[in-house]
Amino acid sequence: MAGAVESELVSEDTSETEAVAAAAVGVAAILFALSLAALFELVTITDTLAGVPMVALLGALLLLLGLGVVGFGVGSRLGYVATNPRPSAGLVAAVAFSGIWFVVGGLVASQTFGLGTIGWGGVAFVTGGLAFAVTALPREDIGSTLPAGLLAVFAGAVFVTGLIGPGWVWDLGWEQSASFNAEFTIPVITAFCSLLVAWGAAKSYGGFGARGRHVGAYLLVYLNALSIIAVLFLLVAFTVFKGLPGLFNGLSFGLGTGPETTLFGFTFAWPLSWPFVMNGVALLNDVNGVLPAIAGTIWLVIGAVLFAVPLGVGAAVFITEYAEHGRFTQVVEIATNGLWSTPSIVFGLFGLAFLVPRLGNGKSLLAGMLTLGFMLLPLVVITSREAMLAVPDEYRDASAALGVTKWQTIRSIVLPAALPGIVTGIILGVGRIAGETAPILLTMSGSVAPPGSQTVDVIGGFQFISSPPFVENPELLQATSALPYQLYSLITAGVGQSSNIANIEQFRWATALILLVVVLGFYAVGIATRYYFRRKLQHE
Amino acid sequence: MTETTQSTDTEQAAESAQTSDIEMQRSGQPLEVTAGETREKTRDEWTDYEFEGDAKFAVEDLDVYYGDDHALKGVSMDIPENSVTALIGPSGCGKSTFLRCLNRMNDRIKAASVDGTVELDGQGIYQDGINLVELRKRVGMVFQSPNPFPKSIRDNISYGPRKHGDLETGFLANLLGRSDDEEVEELVEQSLTQAALWDEVKDRLDDNALGLSGGQQQRLCIARALATEPDVLLMDEPASALDPIATSKIEDLVHDLSEQYTVVIVTHNMQQAARISDQTAVFLTGGELVEYGDTEQVFEDPQSQRVEDYISGKFG
Repeated sequence: MAGAVESELVSEDTSETEAVAAAAVGVAAILFALSLAALFELVTITDTLAGVPMVALLGALLLLLGLGVVGFGVGSRLGYVATNPRPSAGLVAAVAFSGIWFVVGGLVASQTFGLGTIGWGGVAFVTGGLAFAVTALPREDIGSTLPAGLLAVFAGAVFVTGLIGPGWVWDLGWEQSASFNAEFTIPVITAFCSLLVAWGAAKSYGGFGARGRHVGAYLLVYLNALSIIAVLFLLVAFTVFKGLPGLFNGLSFGLGTGPETTLFGFTFAWPLSWPFVMNGVALLNDVNGVLPAIAGTIWLVIGAVLFAVPLGVGAAVFITEYAEHGRFTQVVEIATNGLWSTPSIVFGLFGLAFLVPRLGNGKSLLAGMLTLGFMLLPLVVITSREAMLAVPDEYRDASAALGVTKWQTIRSIVLPAALPGIVTGIILGVGRIAGETAPILLTMSGSVAPPGSQTVDVIGGFQFISSPPFVENPELLQATSALPYQLYSLITAGVGQSSNIANIEQFRWATALILLVVVLGFYAVGIATRYYFRRKLQHE
Repeated sequence: MTETTQSTDTEQAAESAQTSDIEMQRSGQPLEVTAGETREKTRDEWTDYEFEGDAKFAVEDLDVYYGDDHALKGVSMDIPENSVTALIGPSGCGKSTFLRCLNRMNDRIKAASVDGTVELDGQGIYQDGINLVELRKRVGMVFQSPNPFPKSIRDNISYGPRKHGDLETGFLANLLGRSDDEEVEELVEQSLTQAALWDEVKDRLDDNALGLSGGQQQRLCIARALATEPDVLLMDEPASALDPIATSKIEDLVHDLSEQYTVVIVTHNMQQAARISDQTAVFLTGGELVEYGDTEQVFEDPQSQRVEDYISGKFG
């Protein structure tokens, strides 16, 4: 083969140059983490670290990294470092770098030097074209280090010289006076440049070529996954930190301290008093709570699941097992997919216009349950259908060959095998409806900050009456509150200020935290159920 | 003696090849043959098979169509009781289709339509008013790839009888004192012993059947089919996915089962057919039953040249 490269089968011990490249990757990763922390205000860029201003420190690190990577690439080209580069860094890298340098050149020309459209356009095209040429034309070791390293050097120089300092603002001059300030710009630029340099350094560490590309891609994928997890973790942690103080206000333990509960005629007092989840909002409360909203949310989800799951699974059984595959099943499939993407406010309006007038002509818990049940229905149908289609036909054949009827096969073979998939669908659906605000607002919301006495008691609400249908439950037909709705009104609409809520800010965050806990609790129940059924199906 | 017969056979074959060529020109319909196959006309007497005792299945002029595809052409054969009948032939020759006609599993394929009569113990199974549940209870089936349910070994075995209402288990049955737990245990042991699996699994009847090896799974499927106490066992290449040791276990099992059951087995493996079967039916390309007779006769002295070519490995 012409041009085939013979590389060592066994590479020697880690050389010093490899160690330098690895160190560069490490520093770049630290810098990336630091910039993310700065972006989420865990580190403030106006601070100083060991007497050095934060911005200068970031800049110096970038400068150092950029020079290191460029040095590595040039060293490799001149033969000081043993690597295994390809003839070119490739078209994808070239297009990406020319795009980046096009933007950088254009921004510098237009914003810093104030050139007009023709001026900045020219500069941008020149820098972009140069970056393309530098990436694509020379050997891979130059092409993948020089554009990345130079960008880091440039950004570092800007930070170190203070051209962009903590007080820097880029006023976009739009009507709402939108602007990019330093708190946002500096971390983003640092994170971006450190990613690029880390990629270049990782490629150098792998000695370019196929192995270098592998290491570079590996690093990008890992950093990406880690930063997503970090963002998720940060979101939850943020809510927890903000919510905890309000959540545990007035918490006390001890026999008989808690409120009394009557369950099946047996009355007992809770051994702890947790006002935030055991109280409503009332004038005489020491600490106000959200008990009515918690109860409302839980009953809402239970009601919606009880309504939607049997209907949805039944519909899925019909379309997968009984109906002829053809136009009809296609239409049902399109319709369910469409329903699932329908905005929740539309469901809310339907509930308000159709259900509310028919259910006692007032907003009620039942109307909310049904509306959310309608929202849940399409997802249950879609996922149950997928799960049933995934059950191998061999099971059905084997069952039929034993002389077992179709319905019994569905009940004892198909449904058990499909259960984990069905439960997954329900988990996803519950996650959506438990946090839904708009339909609740329209169909079941009562007072924003209801007192504890208005906590909905569905089980205790059933009572016998003398006329058909002989059982009624006024609790189901009363308006009540739910956590997302309460949170929405407390924050956006600003209600609740006048109520006897001592620290409204704490109260809001604690409500958000409780909502998060309730939704995650439903998740946990669902995942445990799925795990149980999956265990039953698999050989363990 | 043998040589003479063979030479006559060859002559006959050459003759019939000519006839079929002429026929082909006349009707414009090419005879369906694959590369390397001799042209000859199938004769009715090749498929006549005289045996003592009763016929379990009597098949008359069976035609099967998958849409426009004529998969099985006018097959007539009688299958004797308590014996092993092997169906052999190249891929796509209709032997599995024929097998699936015997317990009406072809009903489950929407495009399939069946024409002709199949009688089980003298009763037509394609007539109106047939009870499919009862038919499939009497005619059990084992599939090519092992397909145990994702349930425990015990539940797999007792599945058929429980669903037929022959055995009652579960919470309510326990509560009412009607539970047949002992019968279930008996049935499980009996079926697994018959399928030569009892000793291997008796200590883990509650384990999931999917944890068994391929050969064990296939024997479990046989035990599951036996649990409904069928008269006939249909096997669709039951050993094709198994290793030699598991295969020989299945073969021994088939041999033992033929004392009590009528076994019809489809196989690709001609040595296997020669080893285990009492009579053999050869299906060749185009869905025709070409020859049917005593296994020894079919393998050592086939009447049809095409069958001889197929058995000696010239095509297929």
